Amino acid sequence: MRIENCFFCGRPAWPSKGITFMRNDGKAFRFCRSKCHKNFKMKRNPRKLKWTKAYRKNAGKEMVVDSTLQFAARRNVPVRYNRELWQKTLKAMERISEIRARRERVFYKKRMAGKRAREVAAARKLVAENEHLLPRLRGSEKRRLAELAAERGVDVEELEREELAKLASKKKSKAFGGEVRRVRVRTDGGVEEITESFGGKNVDEEMDDDDHDDSDRDDDDMDTD
Amino acid sequence: MTGWKDIPPVPTAQEFIDIVLSRTQRRLPTQIRPGFKISRIRAFYTRKVKFTQETCSEKFGAIISSFPVLSDQHPFHRDLMNILYDADHFKVALGQISTAKNLIETISRDYVRLLKYAQSLYQCKQLKRAALGRMATLIKRLKDPLIYLDQVRQHLARLPDINPTTRTLLVAGFPNVGKSSFVRSVTRADTPVEPYAFTTKSLFVGHLDYKYLRYQVIDTPGILDHPLEEMNTIEMQSVTALAHLRAAVLYFMDISEQCGFSLKAQINLFKSIKPLFANKMVFIVLNKMDIKKFEELDPEMQQEINDLTKSGEVEILRASCATQEGVQEVKNHVCERLLVERVSQKLKAGTHSNGNIGTRLQEVMARIHVATPMDGTTRETFIPEAVKNLKKYDKNDPNRRVLARDIEEANGGAGVFNVDLRKDWILENPEWKYDKIPEIFDGKNVYDYIDPDIDAKLQALEEEEERLEKEGFYDEDDDLPDEEEEEILQKAEYIREQHALIRNEAKMRKSLKNRAIIPRKAVKKPLSQLEDHLDQLGVDTEAIGLRARAQTAQSSRGRSLVRSRGTTADPDAMDIDDGAASAKERLARSRSRARSVAATNRLQDGVQGTTLRSKAERQAKLAQRKMNRMARQGEADRHIHASMPKHLFSGKRTIGKTDRR
Repeated sequence: MRIENCFFCGRPAWPSKGITFMRNDGKAFRFCRSKCHKNFKMKRNPRKLKWTKAYRKNAGKEMVVDSTLQFAARRNVPVRYNRELWQKTLKAMERISEIRARRERVFYKKRMAGKRAREVAAARKLVAENEHLLPRLRGSEKRRLAELAAERGVDVEELEREELAKLASKKKSKAFGGEVRRVRVRTDGGVEEITESFGGKNVDEEMDDDDHDDSDRDDDDMDTD
Repeated sequence: MTGWKDIPPVPTAQEFIDIVLSRTQRRLPTQIRPGFKISRIRAFYTRKVKFTQETCSEKFGAIISSFPVLSDQHPFHRDLMNILYDADHFKVALGQISTAKNLIETISRDYVRLLKYAQSLYQCKQLKRAALGRMATLIKRLKDPLIYLDQVRQHLARLPDINPTTRTLLVAGFPNVGKSSFVRSVTRADTPVEPYAFTTKSLFVGHLDYKYLRYQVIDTPGILDHPLEEMNTIEMQSVTALAHLRAAVLYFMDISEQCGFSLKAQINLFKSIKPLFANKMVFIVLNKMDIKKFEELDPEMQQEINDLTKSGEVEILRASCATQEGVQEVKNHVCERLLVERVSQKLKAGTHSNGNIGTRLQEVMARIHVATPMDGTTRETFIPEAVKNLKKYDKNDPNRRVLARDIEEANGGAGVFNVDLRKDWILENPEWKYDKIPEIFDGKNVYDYIDPDIDAKLQALEEEEERLEKEGFYDEDDDLPDEEEEEILQKAEYIREQHALIRNEAKMRKSLKNRAIIPRKAVKKPLSQLEDHLDQLGVDTEAIGLRARAQTAQSSRGRSLVRSRGTTADPDAMDIDDGAASAKERLARSRSRARSVAATNRLQDGVQGTTLRSKAERQAKLAQRKMNRMARQGEADRHIHASMPKHLFSGKRTIGKTDRR
């Protein structure tokens, strides 16, 4: 029994999973699922399909050159069973995968290094070009604020600014209340769990525009990470 | 003897003429007219004559060359053919054909020459006719030789394939002494055996194998004891064979005299044909010994027969073809002797007079060398001691060896017992034999990681890891998200959303969805929409709304309460530049109407007067009456068509399209 890698996508295909094609020259092709098998039959090139390991490796999206990757290999030299050697190997496997995960993390970080800067630049450009689409105060709102200001004797502009800020910070949150737990792998190999809570009520209140009075609302749910 | 079997058939004279003339007719052009140029006509007929001659020559040449040339043959074959077909006759026949060939060539030459001077098509044709006629006459005269040659061909094809140089046993003797029976019993040949003289009328060949060598046995017709000149064709064949073949001669004798010829005569024949036995091995085979033994003969005869062997080259053998007694012995003895003789002859022929062995003989001798160990030791078969001491396995012995089969029986027999393969594993520590060996660990194949020097490699990896750590490979530079950047990103996100909404709306607007495209001008928009839009854009619309509503209310009914438009006290009213408006614009504005009205009333079109109108209505009703009575579907009825008409979507589709049926 061994875990074969899918010929097409490179995913591990566990025993009893997938299908094997034996070509008449004796070469065996293991496919992890019918998707891969069908694509193979359509003579598609895995290097050109974005969802395959072959593509990701070819396009530099995955760590390809590393010393940790050289440990697992099919050596065509049979080794006789030796209890000590097997024990050592199991320990080594754990350690290797640990180191490998750490290095892959670093690899990912490096790969993504300039991404945020690029995104921000693009966002700046977009905002500059489409200023007119940004939220504005309605005419009626402006009038109401002017009336309010006159009544309270406050500066109108300040009120308007406040109101705009409220508008801008309004963001649709997809998770509606509850708690989200995420596992984050640190570069040193450790794992930490992050818990974030979403106040369902707050979102609720935000929805109706009538109660403008509570201007001090907590911004927990708006912060992005 | 090669090529005698496949001489092509010789046609008769008539057939020959037919072949030649029809070929001329078929192969050459046949269309000719008197109006053609004379040179063309001449060429046409010249070609005919020449072609006929060429065909004849070719055919005759083929016949001549297909027959063997007597002088090139082995003396045995030459003599045999002389006896069978008469060499003179044969030669004359071939000669006649070759002469005819020459004559035809002459005729053709002559007539081609004459054709050059022919003046008309008719003349040409007559000349051609004459030429071909003369050729045909010549061929007709060859009737007899052609028939004779065809017979010779047929006979030659049936002659046995006698190889004069190979190992040969030649069986000779008086008629009916058992020669053919002998050949029949030692070879696969099916020679006819009958109880009368001269059953065998020609030479027969059989083959036998002795010591993996092929021997040729020739059965000859019987010979009578009379001078050579008086012998007939059948006997002469035997004599020819005896004279020319280098073979071991088996002279068969019938001492029982059942053959109808006296023993005396048989002995005399032997003596008279003795000159033919020179340089040959001769064996006298006393056949039919089941009837009369040699010892039963009277001593005189015995003495006489023994005298024949005196010269030392003749041996006496005994056999009986009827009982097969001694036949194989005769065969083996003769073959052995012949083999020895031929080998010694070859050795003698290959050796020079000074005793050196010739190169060709050396080559042959090198090929038949058998290698033996140099020092002359004999190599015994090696049998290990353990095997020698092994006790023979006996099923019933209680102390017998325990076999795997016994273990199986003791543990439940076949189908229950499972062979323990791990028992025979060779491991460093036998305790490990029954360990559970992990194959997969953590989603990885353990065996891929098995490496005898894993320690060293892991050590190297750890060192590398340490080095990287030191170099700061794993250092994280966590820059906290900037407040301002966050805001920008949020804004961008909002804008993208807006874009998507706008795009969606535009798409919705554009898609027809079974609606007519209404020009933007013609689309009515409620005031509320305008107000909302302006409100969204940040314009205070209260005043606009108020004014617009006031206007519509005013224009709806009665006289305006306001004195004039010009004096309207509305500060937010739209400024209208009266003077600047063109005449056309003003006209257009004044002509505004509530709803579009067709230019003419179509109900009334084309029908003048009320009488005509009522008539038309009546007719329409009448036309509809039948429809209504039968509850038929009219064109005004609502009808939903079948979305998939059955006749278009069912049935076999071989050729053609779905919508063409």
